[in-house]
Amino acid sequence: MIKKYNIHEAAGILNVNPQTLRRWDDDKIFSARRDGERGHRYYYEDDLADFLSKNYKYLQALAVRWSFAREASFVPSRFYCRDAYVFKSRLYKLEVILRNDHALAENFSLVTSSVGEIGNNSFDHNIGGWPDIPGIFFGYNLAKRKIIISDRGQGVLTTLRRARPELANDAEALRAAFTEIISGRAPENRGNGLKYVKKIVQKIGLKLEFYSGKSEVEINSSKEINIKNSEKEMRGCFAILSY
Amino acid sequence: MIIELKKFGTTLSSRNDGRESFQAIQPGLKEMADGEELIINFSGVNTFSPSWGDEVIFSLFKKYDSKLILMNTENKSVEETLKLLEEINNVKFNMRKAS
Repeated sequence: MIKKYNIHEAAGILNVNPQTLRRWDDDKIFSARRDGERGHRYYYEDDLADFLSKNYKYLQALAVRWSFAREASFVPSRFYCRDAYVFKSRLYKLEVILRNDHALAENFSLVTSSVGEIGNNSFDHNIGGWPDIPGIFFGYNLAKRKIIISDRGQGVLTTLRRARPELANDAEALRAAFTEIISGRAPENRGNGLKYVKKIVQKIGLKLEFYSGKSEVEINSSKEINIKNSEKEMRGCFAILSY
Repeated sequence: MIIELKKFGTTLSSRNDGRESFQAIQPGLKEMADGEELIINFSGVNTFSPSWGDEVIFSLFKKYDSKLILMNTENKSVEETLKLLEEINNVKFNMRKAS
C-alpha cells in the first residue's frame, strides 16, 4: 500500500508551514490530493518527490538537512541511494538525460563521470563504516543545471588519514584530495577521483561546491581553488555540481 | 586478443564494478599466446571514470605494458581518464587509431 502523508507530515518533509501547503494547493502551485468526506489534504511520496525535483530551493534545503543535521531527516526514496547498485542505475539514468542536453554536447560524459566519481567515493570509503545512515543523497534539477551528491559518512579527513596520517585538519585533507597525487595508499586502494573531478570542472567551466568536516572548497574554471572554513560543520561530504 | 569494453557496460564507473570486470577478463587472458597484443576497444562506451579505469586498464597495463593497445579512445571521459591515469602513474599507454 502506498503511504500517504497528511499535510503536517508533508510540511515537515518540505520544511514549510502547513498553511503554506494549503495556500499552494488553493493557488494550484502544488496541488494536494483529497481524502474522505471531509476532504483532508494528503500527498503521496511521489507527489513530494515531483515537487522537490522541480523546485531546486527545496531540494537543496532537504539535502542540507539530511546531510548536516545530527539526525538525518526523511528523504523520499527517489533521492536516496542506499547502496552503490541503486546509485549505478540512477547515474545511468542521469547519463541518458545529459546525453540529450545540447548545451553539453560531448561533455555529457565528463559531467556523468564526475558525478560517478563523487558518488562512488562515498561508497568506496565508507563501506562497513557508515556512522549512522548508509548511502547517499542524489538529486538534481535540470532547469537550474545543478546536481547534489552527499553522504553521512566519515568525511575526507578521516578516510584520507588512512593513507596520509599527517593531515592535520579538514582544509588540509580537502587540498590533498583535490590536488595531490596519492599513490600506494594501502590498506585502502583509494583512487584519485576528486583530482579528476577538479580537472574536469576547470576544463569545461563547471562549478563544484564541496563541503566536508569544517571546511569547504569551491572550484570553477579558475586555476586557483578556494578552501575556507565552513559556516556549517558536517561529518560526511556534501557536493553541488553546477553544469 | 580484443576486449570489447561495451560488453561490460556503457557507463563504466566505480572500483567495485572495475574489480568485477577485471576478474571476468582473467579466464580469456590465459588463452593468449606469448607476445600477443591485448587490444582494448572503447567503442560504444559512453561514460568512463578513473576508478573503473584504474582497476581494469592500469591493472592490465602493469601486466602487459606496451602489448596493451587502447583503441577508439575518442570519447571525452575516456580521453580525460586515460590522461589522468598516465599522469598519476607516470606511464604512457599505447594508443592505436582504428584502421
